Amino acid sequence: MSKKILIIDDDQEIRSYLSELLGDNGYETVTANDGAEAVEIAKAEKPDLITLDLEMPNEWGPRFYRKISQDDALKRTPVVVISGLNAIKYAIPKAIASLTKPFEPAQLLKIVKDAIG
Amino acid sequence: MFKKILLATSGAPSTFGAARVAFDMAKRYGAEVVVFNVMGVPTKAFSQLVNDVRTGEEIEVDDEYRAWVEEELKSTFEKQIESVEYAKIVTTTGVPSREILRAARAEDADLIVMGASSGDSSAYRKGYPGSTLQRVAKAARCPVMTVHRETASYWGGFGNIVFATDFSKQAENAFKFALNSAKELGCDLTLFHALDISGKVLDQNAIEDKLIEARTRIRETYGPLMGDFKDFDIEVWEGVPYVEVVKIARERSADLIVLAHHSRELDPELASLGSTLEQVILRAGCPVVSVSKPDKV
Repeated sequence: MSKKILIIDDDQEIRSYLSELLGDNGYETVTANDGAEAVEIAKAEKPDLITLDLEMPNEWGPRFYRKISQDDALKRTPVVVISGLNAIKYAIPKAIASLTKPFEPAQLLKIVKDAIG
Repeated sequence: MFKKILLATSGAPSTFGAARVAFDMAKRYGAEVVVFNVMGVPTKAFSQLVNDVRTGEEIEVDDEYRAWVEEELKSTFEKQIESVEYAKIVTTTGVPSREILRAARAEDADLIVMGASSGDSSAYRKGYPGSTLQRVAKAARCPVMTVHRETASYWGGFGNIVFATDFSKQAENAFKFALNSAKELGCDLTLFHALDISGKVLDQNAIEDKLIEARTRIRETYGPLMGDFKDFDIEVWEGVPYVEVVKIARERSADLIVLAHHSRELDPELASLGSTLEQVILRAGCPVVSVSKPDKV
């Protein structure tokens, strides 16, 4: 069964780019356009990995992360931060990786493959 | 609670973190932002010749120079100014700390937001906040928020406030500010005390007795002041105080740390920035508010 990845980003272009990239490499994807919506989707879909933007209109990435880290079913889900902000590795120190946009697709795929196969 | 925010900025990248927090707070809580910039320090009293605060060059202040500085600030913060309802740019010349305090008073600001230092000097970045912050934090009538690292975990709204206390008289004003902010912004509040065991070798029973004692003291000191506010918890850890304050803030994903400006000196006019506060400001991953005077809490 293919692994499921939740993509959280407020930019439609990035969401579809990531869906396509990960989909082409055999992963199933679901998307959310901000942190508030993403909590519900994460609870319903139980993804194997999450890619997370930081700056979003309603609920920002770090607040989403705080919520899922209090949820027993989700707290161990690996998170890859993908953001345009600088020095983002400090925003979510427990993320498995932090990528700054624009990023190399090969680099993301390697991180995802190393984390969930 | 935050109706008017004075963003004191040199326009340098070291103040971008402060700007991000100030504008985002204004957007969320409907506040007005006054972008305040001290262009230069007069070479002599009332002189038109000033040393530009960023380049250090001697410059004659005329309309052209003023317009250029304003234009620079406008373009630096263009997107952020557009994102809030009320914002204005105010520039002046003079000694930065004195002008910031004067502007805060004139504008009746509820909060001053600034970076810890504008210099790139490694001594400042590593160990000490700049002299402007030291002077402003000491004399300001309103709370002063410092955002030193742009990584600040305040990413859209406050949700969790850590109030660190050493049980000093001065911590009472900081507590009031922390409680009022938590109530008004709907946050969780953590009351924290770090039991200072640096440089000591203590029996573990003695440490744990002191931890129990400190917890009881927090409950007795602040419990009766909580009113109907229930979203608080109490933590006491042992260690080096500034390290522990930064650690609990990180563990709780706190968006704000509130501390008293100082603890030892009772006369606020004489007190310098406490050494714990100094280190917390430089190291915290979120904005730090120091409260010196009770007027605006």
